[in-house]
Amino acid sequence: MSSNQKILEAVDISYTFQNGFTVFDGVSLDVYESELVAIVGPSGVGKSTLLRILGGFIQPHRGEVRLLGRRITSPTPEIALIHQSIVTFPWMTALENVMLSLKPKKVPRDEAKKVARKMLEIVGLTEFEDLYPKEMSGGMRQRVAIARALAADPVVLLMDEPFSHLDELTAEGLRQEIYQILFSVNYLKAVVLVSHNLNEVIELADKIFVLNGSPARVVKLIHVDLERPRNPKDERFAEYLDMLYNFLTPVQKHVAQR
Amino acid sequence: MNPIVVITLAVLATTVRVFGLIGLSILTGWLLGYLAVKDRVFENTYVSVIEVLESVPVISFFPVVLIFFIEKIGGPVGVELAADFLVFTAVVWNIWMGIYQAFKTLPNEILEVSQNYKLGFLERMRNIYIPFSLPRISANLFPSAADGFFYITVSEVISVGTTSYSTFGIGSVLQSFTASNQLNYVFYAMLIMGVVIVGVTLGLREFANYTVSKYALDTDTPITRRGRPRLRYTVRFSALLSRSAIQRLSSYTRRQILGSIRLRRGQAEEARHVVGGRRWSLVTKLVGIVILGLLVWGITVTLISVPTKTWMHDFANTPNIVVNMAYDYLRVGIITLVSLAITVTLGYLLAVNHKAERVGVPLIQVLFAYPAPLYFPLLFAYTLPGARSVFGPLTSEFYVILLGFISTFYYVFFSFWMGVKSIPHEYWEVMRNMGMGFIQKMRYIILPGTFPYIIAGISSTINSAWGGLMLAEYWPGIYDSHTLTVRHGLMKLLDVSTAGGDLALAAWASLIFGVVVAAYSILFTRRMLDLSRKRYVVEEGIYAA
Repeated sequence: MSSNQKILEAVDISYTFQNGFTVFDGVSLDVYESELVAIVGPSGVGKSTLLRILGGFIQPHRGEVRLLGRRITSPTPEIALIHQSIVTFPWMTALENVMLSLKPKKVPRDEAKKVARKMLEIVGLTEFEDLYPKEMSGGMRQRVAIARALAADPVVLLMDEPFSHLDELTAEGLRQEIYQILFSVNYLKAVVLVSHNLNEVIELADKIFVLNGSPARVVKLIHVDLERPRNPKDERFAEYLDMLYNFLTPVQKHVAQR
Repeated sequence: MNPIVVITLAVLATTVRVFGLIGLSILTGWLLGYLAVKDRVFENTYVSVIEVLESVPVISFFPVVLIFFIEKIGGPVGVELAADFLVFTAVVWNIWMGIYQAFKTLPNEILEVSQNYKLGFLERMRNIYIPFSLPRISANLFPSAADGFFYITVSEVISVGTTSYSTFGIGSVLQSFTASNQLNYVFYAMLIMGVVIVGVTLGLREFANYTVSKYALDTDTPITRRGRPRLRYTVRFSALLSRSAIQRLSSYTRRQILGSIRLRRGQAEEARHVVGGRRWSLVTKLVGIVILGLLVWGITVTLISVPTKTWMHDFANTPNIVVNMAYDYLRVGIITLVSLAITVTLGYLLAVNHKAERVGVPLIQVLFAYPAPLYFPLLFAYTLPGARSVFGPLTSEFYVILLGFISTFYYVFFSFWMGVKSIPHEYWEVMRNMGMGFIQKMRYIILPGTFPYIIAGISSTINSAWGGLMLAEYWPGIYDSHTLTVRHGLMKLLDVSTAGGDLALAAWASLIFGVVVAAYSILFTRRMLDLSRKRYVVEEGIYAA
């Protein structure tokens, strides 16, 4: 599904924590138009940190991130982040939560309402715009968070394990819809997903960067060449799964030997 | 004796008095807190009494102190006990409430382990209840100590009519130096007190960090809690304390817990049945009956002993008391607004700027803990000409409000600061991601997100402002021959009637004041906290299964 336009790229990224531990080093990745790119790796390999570097929330100690060729040095609404812990504001209704991302742009209230309603419609919450987060399920809250991110007109969406706090049935339902939802807004050019759920990654991603080692590096780039919608019972799906396991397990063995 | 030695001993005496009474508060808090979690009748009485007494300013205890300790007991022992009682009322409430909260929120799993091993009362206290209460105690030590130090001049020197009673301490020593115009010794006293305050502040910070790191639960494992619906709050509480431990948490957490206790009454009851035995029920009922009996006896004796003529005199003065109270509420309103305005800007800047926070927070803590009555006369003396040229006829008002502000700003400031620190990091990322400006952040996220903390802080600020007003509204001989006073004010009325020996009027005014304060607490503060609980709990915005 990808085209030739490079949307987001990370070049030779290195990051060291305050305690001196270099979590990854020399990581480079690129994301092209209409791609859903996944980053996978064992726990503690720095997936979420890398995602925040891609969003400009954290500055790398070496290397740089570029969005459409422009260097990113601070967070921008053009790169929207969806959190692992589902973030909504309890004192705002679903509609107000979504309208929030239009406030900094000083969009007139009526126009903001219209946009927010449209986004809620895209994520399937048309009937629920007046509910407060407390009155919603986890899945509905995550839809609100996605609608809020989409309302900000992002070019890239970063998703940090977006389904990990949902029960399996809800997560699967949302997973099946998410691809359609995300690419139904024409301004969104690409999505980067961090996940430790390998089935989820193969189900959704066009391209998978596998991080491993200490400090971590990209040990493998896998292009997932499967028709959508993807079926986990498909033989080739299982082959991709095996391939991912192969690239993720050696470090654990290495740690065990120590 | 060498004046420097006298000053040093006086500072030590005051410090020992404050910390001795804090120690007494902790010991009694453990015992009463344990009784409270064992018996519902005792619990309801205990919590309600603390809530009312905590919101009544120390000044309201003045007539009781004077009548009981000085007139009934008398002598140096009576004066010492009077001073101790006043300081005790300043330090005790949040410590008692903190311990009760800790006992009430002890996880069921830990209690079950103690039952499993059949631990006795002392073993349970030593191994479970006391260690679990230490983080909350340490969090409440700082405001308690600061409050205790603030009241030293009031508690160590008491004037009734033409008689002045004093007990040894820096408050009484300082007053004698000021009266004899020995300013150099006043400076020495301030310096030595400053060293002690810095030491105390740093010591309490260290102690709090130590207790949190050693005794606080900090786990993401969901555990069943009695009387507490959210684990997240504890986690944030611990994380926050480990960054900077000395914060006043009692008001907000207490109300949270009280609310949740009502919600989870059934569960708490069940736990109580499992834990408690019938023997405890009998003991606690007896203790409750004895306390209630003493209260009823004291009230009856006092009421009978007041002659009809005195009642008529007091009733006739009631309109005057109400008018004076209105003046003071206006002052408290101004103090609160000024405190809020500074809090929202400075508190936010410190909370988001780690370098400034590292210096600013301990500095504000030291300034707050340093008893204003020690330096305020000097501040008054040096700034009076300038203040007169700026404020003209309102100069006295300016100083009264200034001392009220100094005595109380800390509460709303730290409450808000703590609220900002409690905002989940995900919220900050969303704000940065959207590119929100300062005003938008404040309006849509930070002020709503810190609303419960702001309400708790305002409540503490209002309660504490009275102490500053009490000192400033009538301060004879504040400097040289100057008397700082205002025309109207309930605190002035109390001061003047106490100093003039009209204890009946002071007691009557205190009673009316106490009723108004309690009504305000029930009608306004609780409602606002209920509202904040309903919608403005920032932790509920993060859904993490």
